[in-house]
Amino acid sequence: MNVLELKNISKRYGAIQALDNVSLAIAPGEVVGLMGDNGAGKSTLVKVIAGNFAPTSGDILISEQKVEFHKPLDAQKAGIEVVYQDLAICNNLSAASNVFLGREPTRKIGPIKVVDYAFMRSKSAELFARLKSETRPRDLVHKMSGGQRQAVAIARTLLSDAKIVLMDEPTAAISVRQVAEVLNLIRQLSDHGIAVVLISHRMPDVFEVADKVVVLRRGELVADKKASQSSPEEITGLITGAIEHA
Amino acid sequence: MQKKDIGLGILIIVVGAIVYMHNPLFLSPINLGNTANLIGLFGLFAIGQGFVIMTGGIDLSVGSVIALLGVLFVDMVGKFGVPWPLAVAIIIGLGVLIGLAHGILITRFRLQPFVVTLCGLLIYRGIARGYTAESTAGFPFGSSYPQLEWLTIGRSFGVPHSFLAMLIVAAVMWVVLHHTVFGRHLCAVGKNEEAARFSGINTRFVTVMAYVICAVLASIAAIYFAMFTKSVQPSSHGNFYELYAIAAAVLGGCSLRGGEGSVIGIVLGAVLLQELQNLVNLLGIPSSLNFAVMGAVILLGVLADQQFAAYRTRKSTERALGLLQKP
Repeated sequence: MNVLELKNISKRYGAIQALDNVSLAIAPGEVVGLMGDNGAGKSTLVKVIAGNFAPTSGDILISEQKVEFHKPLDAQKAGIEVVYQDLAICNNLSAASNVFLGREPTRKIGPIKVVDYAFMRSKSAELFARLKSETRPRDLVHKMSGGQRQAVAIARTLLSDAKIVLMDEPTAAISVRQVAEVLNLIRQLSDHGIAVVLISHRMPDVFEVADKVVVLRRGELVADKKASQSSPEEITGLITGAIEHA
Repeated sequence: MQKKDIGLGILIIVVGAIVYMHNPLFLSPINLGNTANLIGLFGLFAIGQGFVIMTGGIDLSVGSVIALLGVLFVDMVGKFGVPWPLAVAIIIGLGVLIGLAHGILITRFRLQPFVVTLCGLLIYRGIARGYTAESTAGFPFGSSYPQLEWLTIGRSFGVPHSFLAMLIVAAVMWVVLHHTVFGRHLCAVGKNEEAARFSGINTRFVTVMAYVICAVLASIAAIYFAMFTKSVQPSSHGNFYELYAIAAAVLGGCSLRGGEGSVIGIVLGAVLLQELQNLVNLLGIPSSLNFAVMGAVILLGVLADQQFAAYRTRKSTERALGLLQKP
């Protein structure tokens, strides 16, 4: 069973064909490396999956059910979470507050609803433990390393019981050691049966974690193969067009 | 309670001790009562200003709002005989409208808070002066409103009710800021509005509400000030008060970049400002110098705070390095 299936997705902006008949299937827990040069259609594809805009034609299926997303919230409700490149995190708040940002749990004291800090801390400690991250719930995010911030962003997706996590260049701006930490987080998600779509320019990162590599070139899907049966050289060729199809 | 609040508290005690040593009148019940009254009056709207500053905005119109609503309140109660509870409700309602107007101009029309509220400062002051034709608004001779006076300028056990009102407002706003979902969202919006929006927070609503809170607290302060001065001189009443509020909020640890602040800090900031005013009076410094003293102390305080924070970071880095070098 596939957790996400795209069937003949096309997207046009006026005369520009951003996506051309893209079909793709992702299984639960599968890590997919989505690669392509700038302007190849990676962002467009992610935005279609995340519900930012509808495709011009084609179908999206979640767990074999046809869905239509009119706004990002629809996609979120269907179990799709996006970890943005700039992380969408508030530096002045604690890790726990960030994990629960926009979904704060409350308890009632008499007639007033107050934020349940104790629950926020214990639940996010649990999530960090599941991610095997050493992030502490009380710590302020602005004092954290890039890897820990990623852990916070990813814990947010666990909180909502996501089925698919889309990650836009999560390793672009962080140190080598932190990259290893983030790749570990991705493996943890996968171990929990959550599919991850990893958009990245960094070939080594993709080959380290991805089960499958997908290459877009000028809106066309030119490769969809197991990472173990491919090589960075082949993928580079596919991205640039030196190799036509795989 | 944050570290900054404790530091500010210590500063207040130190300054108080110095003033007391030079002039024991500082701790006399009369002086304490009068100072507490002023702390209450200024603290009321400083808390509102703090909320706006935490969203990364600023409200420059506070002083003019206090003048305009003060004039209207005095006229409604004194001249037109509107029952005072109704007049209070109308004034607070006007405060809500002013706050909504500011908030909507800032969020929907994307104007800068500084510009919007600067125009507010000019407009409200202008209306107050135009409406009264520059004459002082006052209550008729011999009139009295016992309940209203008890609520505003009365005292219980020597504690002025304006101070108690400020404490109640501070307690409520403390819960709102630190223990409600709205307070969490306020801090998030102030620091990183985009992240807050991605997290599904209605950032416009949060920002508008901050301006409404500020204007409502300013309108309550307007009533207290009007009752305290008994007459409102439209061109000078409330002049520069927005700056007192901003000073109190900044002294209290609110960052003008948004996202940071505490209600206790703002109250302590208001206390320190009034203590400095008091210091000028009690130490026989010419009162014309009072702004200069206040400015100098705020500058020194902020500078010291920054240096101390830098020192702490240096120390903790050294400690961390020391641990690393130990085999």
